[in-house]
Amino acid sequence: MMRHRAAYVAFDRFPSSKGSAVHIAQMADELFARFDGGLLCAIGGGDLPRYQREGTREIARFDEPVPNLIDRAEAFSAWVAGHLEPHLDTLEVCHVRDPWSALPAVADGPRRRRRHKVVYEVNGLPSIEMAHTWPWAAPSTLAKVRELERHCLERSDAVVVPSRVIGAAVRGLGVPDAKVHLVPNGADVPQPSQRPPDAPERYLVYVGALQPWQGLDVLLRAFARLADLPDLRLVVCASVPERRAKPLRRAAERIGVADRVDWRFTLPHHEVAAWLAHAEVSVAPLTGCARNLDQGCAPLKVIESMAAGVPVVASDLPAVRELMADGEHGRLVPADRPAELARAVRVLLEYPAEAAAMGRRGRAHIAADLTWARSRAELAAVYDTVHDTSTPPDRER
Amino acid sequence: MDAAGHGREEDHVNRCTVTTGFFVLGRCGRQAAASCGQCGRPVCAEHAAPSGVCPECLAAQGYGSQDPHDPAWARGRRRHYYQSSSHAYQDAAWYSSFDQYDRGAFNPGDDYAQGGDWGSDDDTGFVDS
Repeated sequence: MMRHRAAYVAFDRFPSSKGSAVHIAQMADELFARFDGGLLCAIGGGDLPRYQREGTREIARFDEPVPNLIDRAEAFSAWVAGHLEPHLDTLEVCHVRDPWSALPAVADGPRRRRRHKVVYEVNGLPSIEMAHTWPWAAPSTLAKVRELERHCLERSDAVVVPSRVIGAAVRGLGVPDAKVHLVPNGADVPQPSQRPPDAPERYLVYVGALQPWQGLDVLLRAFARLADLPDLRLVVCASVPERRAKPLRRAAERIGVADRVDWRFTLPHHEVAAWLAHAEVSVAPLTGCARNLDQGCAPLKVIESMAAGVPVVASDLPAVRELMADGEHGRLVPADRPAELARAVRVLLEYPAEAAAMGRRGRAHIAADLTWARSRAELAAVYDTVHDTSTPPDRER
Repeated sequence: MDAAGHGREEDHVNRCTVTTGFFVLGRCGRQAAASCGQCGRPVCAEHAAPSGVCPECLAAQGYGSQDPHDPAWARGRRRHYYQSSSHAYQDAAWYSSFDQYDRGAFNPGDDYAQGGDWGSDDDTGFVDS
């Protein structure tokens, strides 16, 4: 069998239509390019094969249908431990994305200390985010998750964060400054695309998942205030299956905008790029909740919208300010304020020449500062750092 | 795929069904030269390993049984679980402390929690941009 020098572990379905899959593809590709191949451990299911081999790369997918999240996460941990084991003698770098992936990677063997380095990429902290996705999780439960995060972060050799806000959250968990590396998300400026055949004449677009912190309810309320623009529609390109949209569709009915909203689900990335490119405005109405403010985020939708050359109206959060400037690439508006959001959109619609200029500046900003090539070069520098430094002889456990 | 001019005979030819690609997946689709000795799927000459199995089965062999009904699976899983990652798992401070009460909040089946209902088409990632 193949023995790998690198492994990338993600408790995430791969590939999928979500932003995280784009991120995983870029990061894992960089890792495997540097180490002549490697093992990708991810979530499977559906029609994804359990194992796949592409030259020197191997993909292994976990597909046990365990319904309870904690049970599933722990089963995944054990499965990852089993899949890393054959490579422990050759493994040099293991890149992980979440505590349950990190757990088997940071563990030392029963007989000796691990030889590989662990790069922990923190896109968010479940201890904060789970409070939003699982409202019945008790504070004491989340504290245990935080303990688990601390455990894994402490034992990792490098921590990669996509935004300064997340970097601050990680430092708040006690990770020393020197271990935290900023590797921003990126986008590639896409080729001009055909207008989607079913695209309305004039539309606002929302791209992404539908969790409560995305603020789609705020967007729907703002859209209700634009009812005097009869030809304007809202297109929601959701990265999640249709049944996840049930509560939001009910909200759209209640707010009275349902007949002006078009829903698209789990479109492939190139189709989403076309929907972005031909929109009047792309909206990222992230709410001002703990998930976005304390934990931080690095919304790919903002970066991809700018890459597509469409002006962005987004919530004025520190994590968003890192990516775009108000008045330069679009407008930043106070979070959770439908009236402000509606006004900013209306102004952009009233001044199409200025809106188009914002779109062009956004695209130039991405091409100059936020390409995947640049993110990957920065990630490569992190790999070099951990790979060259030898483990201190008596590291505390 | 071959040009349509090749006629109906081509349609009867078995195609290699191996999944290819990294981010964008597809089927190999070349003409099958053999069938996998283990799962029986048709594979082309390029995808057939010298041992006569498909790449999926070949990769799987390296990681032991994945069938929960196979006794070897449970044994292997227990061994991996407690040996390969034992130090972390035996750290009683946190590991054993996810009790039934903690887990109960993460059961699927309600509409309210976003992570609530769960199906095979869902992924399980925690954090999404």
